[in-house]
Amino acid sequence: MANYLAQFQTIKSSCDRVVIAVEDVSDLWLNVRQSFEQRLPVKKACLNNKARNPVFVENLPAEFIQTTDSRLRSRFPQEQYLFWFREPYATVVLVTCEDLDEFKTILKPRLKLIVQNDEREWFIVFVSKAHPGNDQATKMAKKVYARLETDFNTKRRERCCKFDLHGTDADFWDDFDSKMVDCIRNTLDRRVQFYEEENRKLSEQRFTPIWNFCNFFILKESLAFMFEVTNLHEDSLREYDELELCYSESVNLPGKHREFGGLDTGDDQAALLNPGFKALTQIIQDDVFREFEFRQYIFACQAKLLFKLSRPVEVAARGYAFVVGFSKTLALHENALPFCFREVWVITACLGLIKSTSAQYDNGIVAIDSEKEFHRLQGDLYSLCRVKFMRLAYLIGYGVEIEKSPVNSASLSMLSWPKPATWPSIPPDSSAEIMTKEKITLQAKPREKLFNIQRKPLPLEPSFLLREANRRRAFLSVGNMSELYDSVDGSGLDAHSKLPSNKSSSNLMIRTMSGPATSETSLPVDRPMRLSEIHVAAEHALKQTISDPDFMTSLSSPEEFENRYMELTKGAADNYHRSWWKRHGVVLDGEIAAIFFKHGNYDLAAKSYEKVCALYSAEGWEELLADVLPDLAECQKILNDEAGYLASCVKLLSLESSLFSSKERQAFQSEVVRLAHSEMKHPVPLDVSSLITFAGNPAPPLELCDGDPGTLSVAVWSGFPDDIALESLSLRLSASSSADEGLKAIKSSDARVLVPGRNIITFAIPPQKPGSYVLGALTGQIGKLSFRSHGFSQDGPVDTDEFMSFEKPTRPVLKVRKPRALVDITPAVSSALLMNELQWIGLIVKPIDYSLKGGILHIDAGAELKIEESQMIEIESYRSNGEQSGPTDASKALSSSSEPGRVEKVPIENGKIKLPDWASDVTTLVWFPVRAIDDTIARGTSPASPLKHSIVDGMRMIALKLEFGAFHNQVFERTIAVHFTNPFHVSTRVVDKCNDGTLLLQVILHSEVKATLHVKDVSLDLQAGFEHLGNGDGRPTSSLFPLVIAPSSRAGILFVIRLSGTKDLDELENSDSMMTIKYGISGDRTTGAHSPVPVKPDDSEELLFKISLKLKRPVLDPCLAVGFLPFSTDCLRVGQLVNMKWRVERLKDLDEASLPDDEILYQVDANPQNWMVAGRKCGHISFSKAQGSRIEIAVTCVPLVSGYVHPPQLGLPDVGEANVSCNPAGPHLVCVLPPTLSTSYCIPA
Amino acid sequence: MASTACFVIVSKNDIPIYDAEVGSAPKKEDQAYQHQFILHAALDVVQDLAWTTNAMSLKSVDRFNELVVSVYVTAGHTRFMLLHDTRTEDGIKSFFQEVHELYIKIFLNPLYLPGSRITSSHFDTKVRALARKYL
Repeated sequence: MANYLAQFQTIKSSCDRVVIAVEDVSDLWLNVRQSFEQRLPVKKACLNNKARNPVFVENLPAEFIQTTDSRLRSRFPQEQYLFWFREPYATVVLVTCEDLDEFKTILKPRLKLIVQNDEREWFIVFVSKAHPGNDQATKMAKKVYARLETDFNTKRRERCCKFDLHGTDADFWDDFDSKMVDCIRNTLDRRVQFYEEENRKLSEQRFTPIWNFCNFFILKESLAFMFEVTNLHEDSLREYDELELCYSESVNLPGKHREFGGLDTGDDQAALLNPGFKALTQIIQDDVFREFEFRQYIFACQAKLLFKLSRPVEVAARGYAFVVGFSKTLALHENALPFCFREVWVITACLGLIKSTSAQYDNGIVAIDSEKEFHRLQGDLYSLCRVKFMRLAYLIGYGVEIEKSPVNSASLSMLSWPKPATWPSIPPDSSAEIMTKEKITLQAKPREKLFNIQRKPLPLEPSFLLREANRRRAFLSVGNMSELYDSVDGSGLDAHSKLPSNKSSSNLMIRTMSGPATSETSLPVDRPMRLSEIHVAAEHALKQTISDPDFMTSLSSPEEFENRYMELTKGAADNYHRSWWKRHGVVLDGEIAAIFFKHGNYDLAAKSYEKVCALYSAEGWEELLADVLPDLAECQKILNDEAGYLASCVKLLSLESSLFSSKERQAFQSEVVRLAHSEMKHPVPLDVSSLITFAGNPAPPLELCDGDPGTLSVAVWSGFPDDIALESLSLRLSASSSADEGLKAIKSSDARVLVPGRNIITFAIPPQKPGSYVLGALTGQIGKLSFRSHGFSQDGPVDTDEFMSFEKPTRPVLKVRKPRALVDITPAVSSALLMNELQWIGLIVKPIDYSLKGGILHIDAGAELKIEESQMIEIESYRSNGEQSGPTDASKALSSSSEPGRVEKVPIENGKIKLPDWASDVTTLVWFPVRAIDDTIARGTSPASPLKHSIVDGMRMIALKLEFGAFHNQVFERTIAVHFTNPFHVSTRVVDKCNDGTLLLQVILHSEVKATLHVKDVSLDLQAGFEHLGNGDGRPTSSLFPLVIAPSSRAGILFVIRLSGTKDLDELENSDSMMTIKYGISGDRTTGAHSPVPVKPDDSEELLFKISLKLKRPVLDPCLAVGFLPFSTDCLRVGQLVNMKWRVERLKDLDEASLPDDEILYQVDANPQNWMVAGRKCGHISFSKAQGSRIEIAVTCVPLVSGYVHPPQLGLPDVGEANVSCNPAGPHLVCVLPPTLSTSYCIPA
Repeated sequence: MASTACFVIVSKNDIPIYDAEVGSAPKKEDQAYQHQFILHAALDVVQDLAWTTNAMSLKSVDRFNELVVSVYVTAGHTRFMLLHDTRTEDGIKSFFQEVHELYIKIFLNPLYLPGSRITSSHFDTKVRALARKYL
């Protein structure tokens, strides 16, 4: 059956559409052909697929062929059967007849004969030639057609349709199409069934010896082809898939040795998209196809169908898998194939796939996912192609052009060398080429990396090419490395000891091995090839392998290689980027950058390198970053991009220290320092967050009171490998409550050299606003370069600055408390002190959790108060009552911490006291002597002249100002009031009046102070009008001195006096008696008044107190009596008028001239706040001089306030007080009720 | 034990927070780069694959010549990536599961800042022991 293969191929190529046979019974074809063929291809057809499901296909290609055509006639039945797919799918029988008899006798039998063949699907088209105008003919045609229908239509199927030659109607064409499609479908179904049956049969025999893949293939492909022709591409694809599977199984069967193929010219160019690349007959051998060609053929068929199905993404996906898989297959047969055949094939395959899929892909709009998928596949194809291309280039000596980057190294060093049966040997007459190669190798210097980074270049070869190539040479049985070395330089050194010592680069080593170029070209058989010779040999072998001249051109020179390499890399990178595989894409960007760099296109190189670095840096892959960052730095250096260069250097320094040697790191630092001290064109602040990090102390935050400066120590980690000198270093704090960094930078006054690792830097912090603060940023200057760091670190330098992106609890380093009382100053004593004496005033200075160290107390005594500056101030530690009565443990603890009862005397200057250091934290009592000055003479009181005593009289103010805090920034101000008083309050009263006119005057001394008073002597200097009885020294009658008066108690002293005979009333009234009291005081200054501070040592303790007393002559001869008459009403109310009445009665005649006539002046005194006097307050009233005459004086008043108030008083100004007897004698009170409720606003219910 | 195996834990921010060469083969300086590079590139694949499945173990996601990258994604999208040359699916799965266990313990440590580098030597020792056991 394999013999039919060629025929099959021909048929397949010639027949690409559905054939519809035309049985032209009545010679009508020429008339209708044009209109029939216009219906093709069939616009819409409903066919059944292999699973018998209806599928709509569009534009089904078809062709009408007359049965008389040679193409249909000259077929043998056997052939027909085998290539059934090319047989007509439908038969159109064209008839016409205008006569019923003719139909019956001639046409009908003929038609019966035609349609009796059951194999064929047929239908009859009756063509009516009748002109529409010709009614007779039309009628006749209708009759004949009706007859035709009855004869050939069955119940199940109508097989006739009528076509009007003149005036076609649309219905016919629909009818025609549907009949035609019916026929095609039926035929197709039958044929599919047939092929399936055949295939099944063959499949059953698969493991029998007679089985032949070729037969199976022809049947299978026939079916597939039939599906393809009928536009059932999905089914067709499935058939090919099955075919492929079956082939894989059969080809892998052990036993038979088959040819693999791939040895023909042009085979190196992958034909996986070109099914017609080779005739099937060419690739068959012993009924089995050669794998190399057949697999590509199958794939090409599949790809063709997939393209027809508009699925280029799937082509790419299958293609990539196919290339990878087939590449492995090629590797199995590599020793039979030309040198590097596999690599060349993969490259061409990838390029072909890329080209065709992208061409097809442009047409469609696809979902984002499949777009990504497509670009990813394209990227994969490009990069696969790129790797293989690099491999080829490396083999022919362009290795120096290839960047030794991780991506290239990983791709190439894990990719095994080609394994030809024998390594190509050097072609004759190639010495010139060898020389050239050698020159290239010698000239190529490994790129001097910036900063002298000495890093072992990454390998681009899985094992040394030199060894591999020589090992595979046919005539060298053993590829021992040591032998190679020995034979080359003859030094006899052991290879193992030599190899590791030579670490610089593989190139370097190769050079030493190849030695000085010897001009000999014809190698002795036992001499291993040199590297340049290997390159030349490989190049020649490749020239043999590669049939595409264009491809070979791209390997012809380093420049061409680079162009193609660039193209592939760009393609891969671009596609990876479009597939969102940024990592793949960016890595390749780095490769592009390397080429740009090599060509001095530093701008573009820097841009690409930046992308790579940004990715690695963002994702924290430091080892990879360490590889590419120096390149970026170099670009930036060349481009004079100082900012970028500095940033790169800083980044390099901040990478893990193990990635670079200390020498390299020192080089980075010196670059930074050099630039920092140079004149930069555009100085920019440098971000060193990753290099210089800082953190507060692990201890609780520094707490400051409002307005206080402080010292904050911050740990700064320097990532520089050496000490680095800073011009300045400042710290910004930021308030944790607000985001703005509006705070001033705080400069450090510390040493400006940062040692590597931890440095403790102290910052003097000026007063800050209340709140808590976190470390903001560290700024500083290296040379002229200002830098800035945001890098916090908890307990060590962080790895990367991306670390910062995590939510990290920022710990406040500084807390400034809200303003609060830091100290309290209160007077120690609340009771009164002695007036006019030097008294200690105690101030309790109580620090509230705040040190008063260095505090200065300003004491500003107010008016009538004088601080005795000649005296020392006493400061003693103070314990309040609460503390003293506290548990003994506590007091012990206290006493151990501070010396109890410590007293220190300090001077006072200009009202300033400097607090001693020991007093800074403890509550102290400050005693200072003051003298309150009161020049007025105290007055005693008597029942007649009650004391109008105001407490304000004894008040003295002291303004205090305490400056404290480290910088005297804290100020406490307070004004305190101190109460001074006289020692005594004196009151007098006449105890008794004797018949002989002597008066017993009792002087009562009230103690005003909280101290015991010792009255030592009292003398009373009486005013005029009085005189002492007896010896007249003014002493009291009884001598009980010293008289001790306890605090707040009183004592009485009795004087016996009498009125002296003076008549001058005025004189009597204007003079006072003066009492002098000599006394001592024994009091404690902590409770109140105490003995005055001795100014001079000889000051006696005896004190003198003078007080004036006003004695009133008793009313001995009253002339007039004034009596307050009771009110007419029981109660007084506010707002109610009340009549005040006084009765004045003349008790005796007054013979004195003081009253000139019988009129008397009266005056009503009323407190205007309490009373409203209605009417005259004063006036003259006639009053008879006769004894016993009486008058009443009435005044109407309105009380204004409720309560007990003094009523108005009637005074008689013209008559001396001594002559008037009043009843009641002294002031008295009346009760005034509140006003009655007003009912005027009450609303009756 | 696998001759080549490189294990990396990548945080959800794509930062490697732990890496260890756990293969039995002697360490080569240049290989570290390649392994890092391959694993880093495999993140591209993981990012696509991780959301297509509910399973934590993504099995082998990428292949680089002879080397295979197996990945295990935790619920927090931390990725355990293993570059290896031998194929013991079960062993790798167990390895990942146990490392996950260890990782959770690290995670529960209040002093460990999620996303930062794992510096615990105990963890390192355990991971290497697991590698010896399973790979």
